[in-house]
Amino acid sequence: VTAHKTLAGKVSIAVPTGALMPGALRLLARAGLARLTGEELGRQLLVDRSGVRVILVRPADVPAYVDHGAADLGIVGKDILWETPGAHYELVDLGFGACQMVLAVPIASRLNGPETWPPQLRVATKYPRTAAAWFEARGQAVEVVPLHGSVELAPQVGLVDAIVDLTATGRTLKENRLRVTATLGASTARLIANQASLKTRTDAVQAAVGRLREAVAK
Amino acid sequence: MVEGVDVLELGIGADQRRRLFKFADARGEVIALVGERTVPVARLVAGKLRGSALPLRLCYAGPVLSTDEGRFHQRRETYQVGAELVGAPGTVADAEVIALAARCLQASGVQRYQVDVGHAEFFHGIMDAVKLPDEVKSAVRVALTARDFVALESLLEKTPLRSAEHELLLRFPALRGGSEILQAAGGLVRNRRSERALAELAEVLQLLVAHGLGDVVSLDLGAIRDFDYYTGIIFEGYGPDIGRPVAQGGRYDALLARFGRPAPATGFVVQLDLVWEMLTRSARPPALPRIDAAVAWSGSGLKAGLRLGSTLRLFGMRAVVDTQARDQAESKTWWRAVGAVNLLHCMNDSTVAWTAVGQRTRRLPPEQVAGRLAGGIA
Repeated sequence: VTAHKTLAGKVSIAVPTGALMPGALRLLARAGLARLTGEELGRQLLVDRSGVRVILVRPADVPAYVDHGAADLGIVGKDILWETPGAHYELVDLGFGACQMVLAVPIASRLNGPETWPPQLRVATKYPRTAAAWFEARGQAVEVVPLHGSVELAPQVGLVDAIVDLTATGRTLKENRLRVTATLGASTARLIANQASLKTRTDAVQAAVGRLREAVAK
Repeated sequence: MVEGVDVLELGIGADQRRRLFKFADARGEVIALVGERTVPVARLVAGKLRGSALPLRLCYAGPVLSTDEGRFHQRRETYQVGAELVGAPGTVADAEVIALAARCLQASGVQRYQVDVGHAEFFHGIMDAVKLPDEVKSAVRVALTARDFVALESLLEKTPLRSAEHELLLRFPALRGGSEILQAAGGLVRNRRSERALAELAEVLQLLVAHGLGDVVSLDLGAIRDFDYYTGIIFEGYGPDIGRPVAQGGRYDALLARFGRPAPATGFVVQLDLVWEMLTRSARPPALPRIDAAVAWSGSGLKAGLRLGSTLRLFGMRAVVDTQARDQAESKTWWRAVGAVNLLHCMNDSTVAWTAVGQRTRRLPPEQVAGRLAGGIA
């Protein structure tokens, strides 16, 4: 019997660390599923409440937990789902955590619309799959440089021509003397569900989905 | 194991094609390692078995290969068992194949399993009937097969005409249940294709009850599968604590025609790796098959030991003969390590010291030992 085994009748929900965590916890409370503080969950990582198990994982790991069935449901940014498509169901736009995936270049750069792009564009990003797919759909040859952080720095030191990154307010871009030339997509937090959980424990999982959906509409 | 890519392309989608291990032979023809086994079966039926009368019932078991590493460190070589019923249309054939798949899951020893049955035509009927511009329709198709209901909702929101079909599409993940779901859906659809699909589902459900599978079968009108491939009844098998279907199947009446022998067909595949994962996770993980007899020998007993081992195997028992001589005390240590039910120590041509678990040692001639073991007499 493995530790990640889901408990009969109990619905497990994966919640991401970071920017989406406060919104996710507020939503769980509003839906009447679990009342938890960030400190509490951050300390324990796994909290059991009547009928619900909440687990705290890194944002990029939420789809893995859900697709593998270690969590029935997951709260995750659309940006992560673009990057890691899987066999999960994307059920509800939860509304919070709004931000945009943008193509940004240094303020002084000559690059602007597609007509100004060189034959081969070099782009740094934490979202290599999303970036590559977007340029491919536009017939633009691109060399994607996958980075893990401080992507804003890459064009300033001449590593790349542009970056693809997530921005909520645009402040970080401005501070790093970058400007947006295109928007790849708009992201918000989403509710995803494991395909087998919906089939094998339909009642419990659908009930939780229903309560979360209502809490969003409120 | 190996097929020409041009042959495989007749039967599989672009996504599966991408995952094939491909290479070129000496003449530069691109060939691939099998990624699934339904297409090879279709080729067999239309080729080597061309002269055989339909219907044909064929099965396979073996590895398939995929370049996809997956996110769970999946093995690239996985094992599949499957069966295809070619040349039989109708719900009796559909139910036969579903029942066989269910019995396979049962025989594998999983403690709990369920089979969800749906119908590809239910979806096609809705897509025909729903009033949408063509470009929105294709976007709806993409969103639905990606299981992206947020995108689906926003696509349908923009259209002025709201119909029962709209509602059904949005409720796809929740269209699951028993026969009551057929009535609920029947009240909402207003198109021939979907109505016929619901009628067929009702028939299949009744047949599966007659097969003795009423407890494990549910209906899932929102089953999302490769709708370009499947033409009728579709189904999926699930087990406890596995996030993916362990068995999948359905009717694919269009495939055989692409190989030049048009025929209705239905079949299924069981993912053995997932079955194994379920078994090893369960409270009673599967044990290796028990060895019936450990045959040890000393002195001149080797020949008698080899004869005894062969005789026992003829009677269907698992017997292992030691590779080296041991005295009686050493042979007991070896016996425990082997984990066999009986220790048969051949001391010479005519004497065997026979020890069974929980019993004291007896000395008997080898023929008597073989006779008693084969006859099930301790």
